[in-house]
Order: sequence, then structure tokens, then C-alpha cells
Amino acid sequence: MSTSTRKPRAAFGKDAGLQARMLLTMFLLVVVYAVLVGVLIAVGVGGVTVLVIALALLALQLFTSDKIAMGTMGVKEVSPAEEPELHGIVERLCVQADLPKPRVCVMEHPMPNAFAMGRSQKSATVCATRGILQMLSPAELEGVMAHELTHVINRDVMVMTLASFFAMLASLIVQFGFLFGGGFGGGYGRNREAEEAIFVSIAVAALVYAVSFVLLRALSRYREFAADRGSAVLTGRPSALASALLKLSGTMERIPSRDLRTVEGMSAFFIVPARAKSSLMNLFADHPPLEQRLAALEHLESQLQGTA
Amino acid sequence: VGLLDALTGRHQVKGPAPDRVFAITTAYITLQSEYQIEPTGAAAIVFQALATSEFQATIKEMEEVVRATGSESGTQVATQDDSYGYRWMVMRNPPGTPSVEDLAVAVNAVSSSIETAGHGERLLCAVFAFADRRAGGGPAGTSSSSSAVYFIYNYKRGSWYPFVPAPGSGSGGQSGERSTERELQLKAQLGSELPMEPELERWFPLWGIPI
Repeated sequence: MSTSTRKPRAAFGKDAGLQARMLLTMFLLVVVYAVLVGVLIAVGVGGVTVLVIALALLALQLFTSDKIAMGTMGVKEVSPAEEPELHGIVERLCVQADLPKPRVCVMEHPMPNAFAMGRSQKSATVCATRGILQMLSPAELEGVMAHELTHVINRDVMVMTLASFFAMLASLIVQFGFLFGGGFGGGYGRNREAEEAIFVSIAVAALVYAVSFVLLRALSRYREFAADRGSAVLTGRPSALASALLKLSGTMERIPSRDLRTVEGMSAFFIVPARAKSSLMNLFADHPPLEQRLAALEHLESQLQGTA
Repeated sequence: VGLLDALTGRHQVKGPAPDRVFAITTAYITLQSEYQIEPTGAAAIVFQALATSEFQATIKEMEEVVRATGSESGTQVATQDDSYGYRWMVMRNPPGTPSVEDLAVAVNAVSSSIETAGHGERLLCAVFAFADRRAGGGPAGTSSSSSAVYFIYNYKRGSWYPFVPAPGSGSGGQSGERSTERELQLKAQLGSELPMEPELERWFPLWGIPI
């Protein structure tokens, strides 16, 4: 009997480039945010108060956004008896990924879509719409659920919420800076200096908001690539996910996922005008273009086949 | 997942934990002698079959290895895919001579050749089938002859857990009720002999087990 002389080979290589880009983006975000916090501290007590209020809002958001999203979108938790196939897919992937089982939900909506919610692995929820359950084959659905579970593994809700915190703070200052004017200036006797301080902090906040917005979109796209990759690694079937993406692209331009909804949930708290956001959304999409995702999956498949 | 891994979204699928498959070869003696739970002479190993020529070659070699090691004991091997796309390699003892040791050796031969080929992270679990012959094991009306009891080994965690489908349900491959009470009794009965999965939420059911 011939024993294998074949050399063990990692099925998938590492994607150092993606990780480097992600770290660079985060580094730039930290730099931009540091400037903002520096300015806030420089303008004094008022700025710090704004920071504290925003932190409280952040905590509130982290603990309630998934419940609010579930409540407003008509997402229902389903039992294994109701959706045996979906539960079976998620359970096997959880064994494979060594994850505790998240709550499994279905949204009764014909639009094919899936997303993950929750700030930690223990409190995670994965959700699929009725549309996607009907449209995809089991292997394709497995690819999509593995993509969502990778978001859970990578704690993407937490990462994106924290990463966008100061951007939210900046937009808060831009929109309500004049209301905080009294605070910024230190009270009653408005003088030229105080008004300048308000003007400077609003200008800096606007700049921070603009720059961080572009960076956040980039970060979100990188995390989508990472989730595609994680799905391929988890299932060992990159082409099944590619096939799912192709099917979905027929009915929609991209799979809206959790982070879009998180932004929407956030706007409920931060009262960011939805109009400004959605017009920018077209310019700076939070999901990478389909062709790029397909190309990345194709590369993974050729790595797997050993032809890369 | 470390902090840097979480920040960069880098995620590797975990390889198998230190192998504790052979724990079943001592635990089953207690099952048999004290609780009248008999091995049925069948076991299976479940994994993701990669659609690559290299992995197919590995599977072929592995079947040959299992046949070779099983030729003296007469262990039969058969493969089938389930509806979720996972490959089941089913090992059966010759009729009338169930041997958990032979099955564990065969399961171990499969898992180690998958690991040797560098695909250890594709292993999902191993399943050993038993039959509960206690009279009155099920509710009145069901055949009291025997009911199925499975012990599932999770490769990622290196731990075991019992899986008992409630009598008369879930046999057709679709999910049904599981007898959680019986599973917890088994945990208490075997806890000192099998490395049991401590987190109950990781006791994932497997419906439609073909053994």
C-alpha cells in the first residue's frame, strides 16, 4: 500500500496585501481621529462634554442596535423545526468554525439578502430573507451563510461601530456645533476668541468627517473581501459563493449587509440626515464591485486546485 | 482569534484538536455492561470533500488504507454525500461481531490520512452508533426493542457528546425532536470516561445519520 509522499500544502495562501491595506486604513483613521480629539481637548471643557455624550450614545448603540434593527425590519427567529435546512447549514458551519451557534432568523421578504448582527460571538444573529432561501442552492446558501458567520468571527459589527465612532462624533459637531457654542466657548460672555474656537472645531470636524467617511467605506470593502475569503476557507468551495454572488447580482447590484443597516440604525440615534448619506453612498460603496469579489474568489479557487 | 486577527479579519479554520477518538474504546465497555447500550457495529467520519484532484487522490488512498487495515477484521467501507455536501465515510463491522476498537482504528486511519495530506481543517466529526436496549427506553407504544443513541466526536474541540433522536422522529433525514433528557443522563453516566463537550450549546445535532 503506497503511503502518501505528497507534501502537505496549505489549501489557501495568506492574503498579506489585504491585511496590510486594512491596517493602513485603520492607522489613517486613528490619525484623523487623534486630530479631532486633540482639537476638542484644546477647545476645553465643552469639547470633552461632547465626547462623553457621544461615548454614552455609542454604548447605547452597541447594546440596542441589533434589537432595534430586528424589531423594525420584521426579522423573526426561527426554530430548527421551522427551518431545518438553514439550521443544518449553520450548525455544520459552526462546528467547522468552532463558533457557538448564533440565533438564526428569517425575514419574510422576497428580496434576496442575508446579514449578520450582534456585537460579539455570543450575542450574534444571522439572518436570511425568504427570497435568498428560495433562490439559492444549498451549497450557495452555505457559502453566503459562511460569509455572514465570518463577519461574526471577525467581529465586524464591533470593529465598524468602533471605527465609525469618531466619524459620528464629527458629524454631530458639524451639525450641532453652533448649539454647543455656549459650551465650547465656556459660557455667557461670548468673545471673538470663543467664536473662533467654535469655527475651528466645526471646520476640523467637517474635514475629519469627510476623510473618515472615505476611509470607513474602504475599511468596509476590505472586510467584505475578508468575509468572502473566510467563507471560501470555511466551506472549501470558493466557486459556490461566486455562483451565489452571480445569482444575486441578477436581482440587485450588491448584497446589502449588516453594516449598511448598522449605519441606518445609528442614524436613529445620531440624527444624521439620510439624504446626505445616501448620495455619498453611491460614490463610496461599502461593498466592493462584484467583478472584484468574483476575481478574488476565482484566485482562491485556483489556489485550492493548485493551479495558481 | 487574537486582536490583530480580529482587526485584520484574518481567519484560519481551526485544525483538529489532539485526538481523543480512542476514548470511545474504553467508554463503550461501561455503556455495554452497566447501561445495556450496545454498539451496532457502525461508525462514520464526516468531512468536507474538496473538489480538487489532489483531495480525491487522498480519499482514494485513504479508502485503500482502511480496507487494508480492515481486511483481517472484515470492516467494510462505503462513502456517500449528504444533502449539505458533506462526505460520509461509513465503516461497518461484519454482521454479528461489532467491534468498537476496529471502528475507532478505521476512523483514525481516515482522519490521519486527511491530516497527513494537510487538510485536517476539513474534518467535521466522527459518529459512533449504539442501540439502547433498555426496556421502557421510549414512551409506551413505540417498539421497546431498541432506540438509537449516537456518540459524536467533534474534531475541532476534541470532545464528545451524545445525540439521541427522540423515538419515532427524525429518522427520515429531516430534523426532529431530540431526547435531551436522555442525552444529559448519558453525560452524567459517562462524564468520567469520555471527554465530554462542556458547553451544551455546542451539542450540535446531526439529522439523517446514515448509520
